[in-house]
Amino acid sequence: MKNSLRTLLLLPLMVSAVFAAENPIWGEGRITNIFGYGKEGSTGLGPLFTLLQNQYFVPIFLAIIVGVPAVFLLHYLVIGPKVFPHGGKKIKVFSLFNRVIHQIAAISFIVIIPTGIVMVFGSFFGGGWFVTLCKDLHGLFTIPFALVVIPMFFMWVKEAIPNTDDIKWMMILGGYLSKEKKPIPAGKFNAGQKMWFWIATLGSLVMVITGVMMYLLDFDMSMLVSLTGLSQIDLLRLAAILHNVVGFAVLALFITHVYMSMFAIKGAVHSIIDGHMEEEEVRILHSSYYKKLQKEGKI
Amino acid sequence: MSTTNVKMEFYCDENRCIECHGCDVACKQAHHLPVGVNRRRVITLDEGIIGKERTLSIACQHCTDAPCEQVCPVDCFYIRADGIVLHDKETCIGCGYCLYACPFGAPQFPRSGVFGTKGSMDKCTFCAGGPEETLSDAEYKLYGQNRLAEGKLPVCVSMCSTKALLAGDSASVSDVITKRVLRRGNR
Ligand code: SF4
Ligand code: SF4
Repeated sequence: MKNSLRTLLLLPLMVSAVFAAENPIWGEGRITNIFGYGKEGSTGLGPLFTLLQNQYFVPIFLAIIVGVPAVFLLHYLVIGPKVFPHGGKKIKVFSLFNRVIHQIAAISFIVIIPTGIVMVFGSFFGGGWFVTLCKDLHGLFTIPFALVVIPMFFMWVKEAIPNTDDIKWMMILGGYLSKEKKPIPAGKFNAGQKMWFWIATLGSLVMVITGVMMYLLDFDMSMLVSLTGLSQIDLLRLAAILHNVVGFAVLALFITHVYMSMFAIKGAVHSIIDGHMEEEEVRILHSSYYKKLQKEGKI
Repeated sequence: MSTTNVKMEFYCDENRCIECHGCDVACKQAHHLPVGVNRRRVITLDEGIIGKERTLSIACQHCTDAPCEQVCPVDCFYIRADGIVLHDKETCIGCGYCLYACPFGAPQFPRSGVFGTKGSMDKCTFCAGGPEETLSDAEYKLYGQNRLAEGKLPVCVSMCSTKALLAGDSASVSDVITKRVLRRGNR
């Protein structure tokens, strides 16, 4: 196991070393200085991208869309959801602004994620008009998302900064391994939600930038070229690699986010719809936040 | 000539190429390529360095183990028995992955997608058409002339005035080069 992990980590290095040697495609036999391919040595990330896309990206995505839901299904069957009585006293947790921003992001993601999956498994769907349509929707719904991602970052970043609660939360895995309703160490957002916050904002920003680069392909990137010293084609390759790798995290955590809000904590999704959470739910699941609100005399 | 192990290829003799751009113009004309799509390009290496400057004509090199074919998410490439790398434009989604994988910058993208973004990929077909019925109108419209089916060489090669650009199975091409080297001192 350890060995194979090491091999996996070293693979890119080994591969580029092999490719750098006499290879008719990437090595000596190649014509350098191709128009638009810019500088010397611009094969750059080509072999790495080819290897990753050919062998790794699709199986990893498959593992995520099968594996993550499987783990949650098991959780649901073995441990089951936490159910809080609804109809008790409620606490207002999300403002209208919070909710509107979140809803725009949510609708965008509901289109972006499945269409992205269709593209990854493009050959399964037979390519052609259907996958092309998905590609265009994928790009189109990036626009509303891009508009709200910055406000979303600023409206929640304060609550998403890691603190000691998160370590305790991690130790007990958020209390998800039992159905007991013991107060769980978490502020307004627990460690899992924080993780999702960072991936959904900063990670998604990477997704937006790399996605736009690939979508437009030949727009003027000279600023990036001089900034990074990479040729335009290498920037595009880097964009493709990053888009897939960050995509793993976004996909895995998106599934998690949906499971948690819809199934694991029954009805949790309502808090982002009407802005209110059951007092009992806040007291248990976000105990530090509850204490803070009590201190401030808000409850 | 045996039919097994035939591998079609291009070869550009840099001692002969005079940068006349005849090949890329012929290619554009023969296949009615849209503006901005260049299946073949003439490039200059070490420009301005006396004694080192040379020009070459390049297009899709119809690679063995073609990287483009390895990365295409919709698997629209197919490699003919004679090594010519072709693709199906009706299946292609214009993602651009083949361009990132290609060492030669061969895949081209016309602006025919939504909002003028990249449409289906276009590249040199070795003048061998595509997956549509051979010599049909549909094939001509999507992929240009299928000169191989007519028993002719690719148009770029046919019109090259100095015969710098060669095409054929690798044995015949290296045969020509060997003779050139032997008889004329590689000139
Ligand atoms: S498109 Fe590029 S990678 Fe594919 S066969 Fe042609 S030269 Fe090779
Ligand atoms: S642009 Fe078309 S041919 Fe190229 S990798 Fe994407 S789907 Fe395949």
